[in-house]
Amino acid sequence: MKSIEQIHEELNIWHFPHHPWEVTIGNMHLAFNPKTLIMTWIVMIIIAVFWVWATRNMEMKKPSKKQLLAEEIFNFLRGLVNENLDPHKGASIMTLIFALFIFLLFSNLWGLVPTMMSPTADLNTTAGLAVMVFILVQILGFRYRGGGYVKYYLHPYPFFLPLTVVEELAKPVTLAFRLYGNIFAGEVLMAVLLSLIGLKTFYFLGFLPHVIWLAFSIFVGCIQAFIFTMLTIAYTARAVAEEEH
Amino acid sequence: MGALGLNPTIFAQIINFVILFLFLRFFVYPFIVRMLEQRQNYIASNIAATEEERRQAEAVHQQYLSDLQKAREEAQGIIQQATKTGEAHAQEIIEAAKAETVRLKENALTEIAHEREKAVTELRNQVAILSVITAEKIINQTISPETHQRLITEFVKEAGDLLC
Repeated sequence: MKSIEQIHEELNIWHFPHHPWEVTIGNMHLAFNPKTLIMTWIVMIIIAVFWVWATRNMEMKKPSKKQLLAEEIFNFLRGLVNENLDPHKGASIMTLIFALFIFLLFSNLWGLVPTMMSPTADLNTTAGLAVMVFILVQILGFRYRGGGYVKYYLHPYPFFLPLTVVEELAKPVTLAFRLYGNIFAGEVLMAVLLSLIGLKTFYFLGFLPHVIWLAFSIFVGCIQAFIFTMLTIAYTARAVAEEEH
Repeated sequence: MGALGLNPTIFAQIINFVILFLFLRFFVYPFIVRMLEQRQNYIASNIAATEEERRQAEAVHQQYLSDLQKAREEAQGIIQQATKTGEAHAQEIIEAAKAETVRLKENALTEIAHEREKAVTELRNQVAILSVITAEKIINQTISPETHQRLITEFVKEAGDLLC
């Protein structure tokens, strides 16, 4: 039985460096995770190629399969946004929701390709997105409700302010860790399975657990992308909604 | 932060995402929206056209119904007119038939009277001749034809007066 480190070493056929890239700007030392960044760029390129391919030569009356896929994903997201927000406000975050869902979906699924890694299996990615969503929600709340949004923090009594602040801060944290945990755990379990079940048993249906786990990971990847997107919509909806009472 | 594996990659990832967002925003999103809008407009115009057609069909239908009603009324009028005319005609025919009957009856009566006259005259002649012959036999003498004729005439005259 091999250790997980050995498995990771064996899977690293592209020779990704183990140590962070160190960049020094002025007197600041910055460290970047090379594998995460490279995987993110690959995913970005895949997304760009796929979506440009899917949205060119679109036909109105006889949509092709790729066009239908693109339209269905878009309609699905627009349906989610319009269910939770009024369409005027929804249109302003629709582009972001669209990009977010596509990025998460492709990222989550990209990790299922052998030797590749999901960008979302790195906490930096999910935390970055969650922080971005958090800031966006605050900005949208102020934009649509102005001073009314401050009252939301002091509601129902001013001394609830710390509780509300904790509640608001918990949102991006849970958002980041939920996605990271699910995707990272999926990849760890795959490595564990590889270390537990050696290649010799491969010919005696030893690959079945891996296949089942891969199938389940597809499901988890889609669900987690959906949850992240859905919660972003829900948080935005709560921040921009008019007072109900 | 270090224990969680957080490092400046987080900023790089935000920048990466923003780049991707801008790319999708300008090179993918508008195409999908435009296509969906185009289809929506197409469907909406189709629906509008269909409704317009339906409205027109409704108008034509109403026109047709009123025309039908008018035609029916006209037909009814024509039938009534025809019935009236027919009845009048029948009455005329009956009247004419009645008049004809009366005329025929009168003719027949005249004929009968005439025949009767003739028969009576004949009978008178025959009776006279028989009487003369009988008388001849009785008196056993011959009467000259002139006397014979005179006697008959007288007899007929007397008998005629007697009978009538």
